[in-house]
Amino acid sequence: MSRFLFVVPPLVGHINPAVAVAAELGGRGHQVAWAGLPGIVGELAGRAEIHACDVPRDLQRPPGLRGMAALRYLWQDFLAPLAGAMAPGVERAVAAFRPDVIVADQQALAGALVAERLGIPHATSATTSAEFSAALAGMPKVEEWIGRQLDGLRAAFGNPLQTHDFRFSPDLVLAFTTRALTGDCAVPPQTRFVGPALAHRAVPAPFPWEWRDGGRHTVLVSLGTANTGLGGHFLAECAAAVRDRARRVQAVIADPGGVLGGVSDPDILTMPRVPQLALLSGMSAVVCHAGHNTVAESLLHGVPLVVAPIRDDQPVVAAQVVTAGAGIRVRFGRGDRRTIGAALDAVLGDPRYRAAAERVRESFRAAGGAASAATHLEAFATGQQRGRP
Amino acid sequence: MTTTPAPRADEAAVLTELTEALHHVLPEIGFEDTPVTMDTRFVEDLDLESIDLVTLTGELGRRYGGHVDFPGFFASLELPEIIGLTVGQVVRYIAGRLR
Repeated sequence: MSRFLFVVPPLVGHINPAVAVAAELGGRGHQVAWAGLPGIVGELAGRAEIHACDVPRDLQRPPGLRGMAALRYLWQDFLAPLAGAMAPGVERAVAAFRPDVIVADQQALAGALVAERLGIPHATSATTSAEFSAALAGMPKVEEWIGRQLDGLRAAFGNPLQTHDFRFSPDLVLAFTTRALTGDCAVPPQTRFVGPALAHRAVPAPFPWEWRDGGRHTVLVSLGTANTGLGGHFLAECAAAVRDRARRVQAVIADPGGVLGGVSDPDILTMPRVPQLALLSGMSAVVCHAGHNTVAESLLHGVPLVVAPIRDDQPVVAAQVVTAGAGIRVRFGRGDRRTIGAALDAVLGDPRYRAAAERVRESFRAAGGAASAATHLEAFATGQQRGRP
Repeated sequence: MTTTPAPRADEAAVLTELTEALHHVLPEIGFEDTPVTMDTRFVEDLDLESIDLVTLTGELGRRYGGHVDFPGFFASLELPEIIGLTVGQVVRYIAGRLR
């Protein structure tokens, strides 16, 4: 049996897949512990051995930042300070838990850095595929700039004798997607596409199931967990687009910020939290920000998408959805009831979108998800132990 | 193989061509209410992502053929320059290369 330490950032979308993999490993008799921010990790992982890491106090990114400005902020003001804040906690976790393998989230860079400095085998958990994409291929100076951020972190917290890109473990990279969605992309050879890993969420939000109207399409609108306060205009336009089609369509709108004022009528149901996984199998379409997890969960249920990427990996994931034929992209900032409505009409009316979503679903199922990730990690740990002097 | 005719070099003509290229690449983007001017910023005003800029680069390449080295232009941009990139910067670059 082996010991696995999961190092995660304080981001729901990054912790949830790790929770699923950790549960699978635990079920196979392995020892699992966590290094991260205790509150959010405990909430998502349930009863678990959690080693506390500090995180920077102010994690709120200015919501208006988009594109490269968001990228600069992400590295300079989020990922790098997060790595520095977490590194001592990760070290303490290693000393206390003595893991055979560290499973480091790709955005919890402290995991990879501490692992390489202490010489502990580590795998990368890539909960989004954006780092594999060639989105920056035409902008080498941006790549160089990111490279300088990485070099600085390695000098401070890692092993400066190493030269590989530590966003990717040299031994094992778990990608929670498949090529049916990513299309052709340049991935390191140690990458394993395991598909989405879904955690059984402890307490799903309640839902008034009698609200559903079997005679109409039901659409889920969600901008994920990290965009509260940003989506007022977009959510209002989504609601208006649905009202224009209320004879055929009704919508559940996740509205954590309450920007729609708690509307609840037969056409529009707003809720601060929705039981997304429970809802998805009955949805005709999902309108979302193209966050990797919402997209993956929708496609795992064969549900086509209207995607309105906001920033970070979302434009890349949105482009993947469009290329796979499983959805339509609209503009987040400029999307209005007309364009959102037209996109909805298309994904609801043209069966090819659902057929494409179902093709991706089949690839996800074949990839094995959390069980497959656990198997790769087991084999990696066993190989490392065997290789030990 | 088609040969690309040498386009007009003045900035107004380039701006028109660039606007057409934008519409071609991003037909869903509503420009009716937002005129594209030299001061228009790609990201903040047009809601373009870097991935869209790459697509736009390809379209401009088709329109201007070998006259203008777009990959080279975008590759020369530092991060802060990309953040604030305006239509005017691209137009002036194109016009300068055509003269």
